[in-house]
Amino acid sequence: MISEQGVKDLLNASGYIADDAIATAVFLALHMEKPILIEGPPGVGKTGLAKALSSALDFPLVRLQCYEGIDEGKALYDWEYGKQLLYTQLLRTQLDTYLSVSADLREAVERLSAEESLFFSKNFLVQRPILRSFLSEKRSLLLIDEIDRSDDEFEALLLECLSDFQVSIPELGVIEAKRKPLTILTSNGTRMISDALRRRCLYLYIGYPELEREVAIVRAKFPDLCEELARQMVEFLRKARELNLRKPPSVSETLDWGEVLSILKATQLTPEIVANTVGVIAKHQTDLQKVTELAVQELS
Amino acid sequence: MERIVAGFVAALRENGIRVSPGESLDAVQALGLCGMAGRRSSRLLLRLTLVKNVHDIPVFNEVFNRYFSRYPFVDPELNIPDLMDAALIDLEGEFNYLNPQQSDDHDQAGPLLKLDSEIHPEDLAELKSLTEIDPDDSDGNEIVVQMKGHRGKAKAPRPTRRYTQNPLTIELNKGSSTDSGITFTPEEQMAMQDVVSRMMLRLRKDMKRMKSNQNRGKLHVIKTIQKNYRHDMVPFQVALRRKRRQKPRLVVLCDVSFSVSHASRFMLLLLHTLHNQMLDVRSFIFNRQVAEITEMLANMPVNDLMEVIDRGDIVDLDENSSFGEVFLTFKKKHLENLRGRPAFIILGDARNNYGEANDWVLDEIREKARYMLWLTPEDRETWRRGDCLMEIYGAYCDKVEVVKTVEDLSLVVEGLLRDIYADQAHPLDKKRLREAREAEAYDPKDYYTRGGNGGSEPGFDPSGRSRW
Repeated sequence: MISEQGVKDLLNASGYIADDAIATAVFLALHMEKPILIEGPPGVGKTGLAKALSSALDFPLVRLQCYEGIDEGKALYDWEYGKQLLYTQLLRTQLDTYLSVSADLREAVERLSAEESLFFSKNFLVQRPILRSFLSEKRSLLLIDEIDRSDDEFEALLLECLSDFQVSIPELGVIEAKRKPLTILTSNGTRMISDALRRRCLYLYIGYPELEREVAIVRAKFPDLCEELARQMVEFLRKARELNLRKPPSVSETLDWGEVLSILKATQLTPEIVANTVGVIAKHQTDLQKVTELAVQELS
Repeated sequence: MERIVAGFVAALRENGIRVSPGESLDAVQALGLCGMAGRRSSRLLLRLTLVKNVHDIPVFNEVFNRYFSRYPFVDPELNIPDLMDAALIDLEGEFNYLNPQQSDDHDQAGPLLKLDSEIHPEDLAELKSLTEIDPDDSDGNEIVVQMKGHRGKAKAPRPTRRYTQNPLTIELNKGSSTDSGITFTPEEQMAMQDVVSRMMLRLRKDMKRMKSNQNRGKLHVIKTIQKNYRHDMVPFQVALRRKRRQKPRLVVLCDVSFSVSHASRFMLLLLHTLHNQMLDVRSFIFNRQVAEITEMLANMPVNDLMEVIDRGDIVDLDENSSFGEVFLTFKKKHLENLRGRPAFIILGDARNNYGEANDWVLDEIREKARYMLWLTPEDRETWRRGDCLMEIYGAYCDKVEVVKTVEDLSLVVEGLLRDIYADQAHPLDKKRLREAREAEAYDPKDYYTRGGNGGSEPGFDPSGRSRW
């Protein structure tokens, strides 16, 4: 049993600086065996949390990237038609001898149908991410990434998996999870996710981090960056987020920028440095201008 | 504990957050697992389990503060003098609460009241949270309260600096400079987002219904082979040819003159939201001149755009609107380079200020257009009065609709989009669509409207601005 603080420490040790809300959510998810639905602006570390958790808790990560048109054949399971065909071809001689014993056609059909479940057995089942994580011997971490990109039908399909941790396969029956995986769903909010799905999850909103936490994140990732610069950087980016940019710089941008600055061996932010590296933090023409202006205003 | 959680859930429901019994069970289980370590962590736990939407979080915080302010809470980190102070403040708060003078019609009780009492240094934290809840009232409560009353009553056109204002309005406007009536509040934008996304959802459903039937085409040999490569080319899965669907095109001409500015405000917001969703929309605004704003709609924050328009930087707003002239310039400048057969929407009151009607241009536009729709905020009775040319212009349009509210507007636009989609559909599909739509007569959107609202859209804004 890991405590809340334990979760936090584990995450910190693996380089993910979590706040109380995140640690509590993970703690609850571990103990209540409920999925977490994480929402928030892009680049604040939603997927990063899943990766960090998988390495911190030593759960194998099973990732399912959602996209428009994803269906059960891609997410849950599929039948291996090719293999089935191949087997019928290879087994033809055996079948002939097996069926030749039967007196008439009726009996042959009966004999055959008695064996047909052979071809719809686990031998011919392709496990897709969700089923794979359910059948994993070790408790795994199932990451369903960007669920908002999928269609409504797929969401409905997930309901059974997420509430009961089981998959119904018509030919085989219900397959239950051996170990219920720690499940994390992420969404960027491009589409409203149905209440039914929300109800089955714990809901965690990760926004932009507070100043101290963001500085800590940068420091954890780039220890050779001096504290002062990290702080200055983060403060500048926090101001930039208030500029009403088309794509406000997120934590991932902060980290990219930190990397760039540490490569450049910068010790202090100046308007020139910002102007030279602005492409890392602003991703639109109009944003570039605004950020450079802010740099001149704030840093000179 | 169960009782407290149940009570709190009831309070949340009263405030419009939908909490299912299962979720309250989760909350109890979570509290049991983590224990009640303090106010902060309990709030976290409750929030994680009970709130399932970002937009509900502020409401949740507010309800939490209010509901649990009744229970005196003791933070172990506080020392005794602080506790005393807290108790004092509590008492004073209670005193204020009992004081009839303080009973304003603000529904935020609890922390808000402390603002009126003497401000202690300890209150600073509370004050900060106050500004979070209510960014508008930087100038004290009373002014804002009056503002609201004023706005609610006044259904007259919004005051702008070009019109003489009575001193009262000017003073009030000073009170909250952010709310000058041109720009949109986040709530308005959210509500519009909501309306549009629901509309898109319904449209997409329609599309899907059609798509599933559209698979009946010729066999697409190459795709079929590709698809069945792993099955040794045995065609288990068949790919059929599909007709290329044209993206529906839309051209919107929107009057931004003073007389219809209320309607056009929301039209522009709707366009802006639609723009971000899909569709090939070209948008024009006009008064006496006409200008295309498609690019700006796509690239600018909507509030900035509204300000630019309101300043008269795009089209001069000081002149009288002239539909005749606008149509003429539109024909000269833009009509030639409209691609496809777009659907036209014109929003305006057709008040031409006694200028040349130039209605023959509409005839030419009509030839180019798949469909022509005129939206006017005026009732039919007034169409003949004064300089209104609605009757003349209306004759060229496929349909003239009176739109008065945001819901009207979105319904009309949705109907139009549906028709465009259905236009390309197979006749059989059309029939099916019609049947499906009839079955949907009791709109499923009611399902999503929060309790007590009686099936109308979730409150668009409290000051009654959604009515023009």
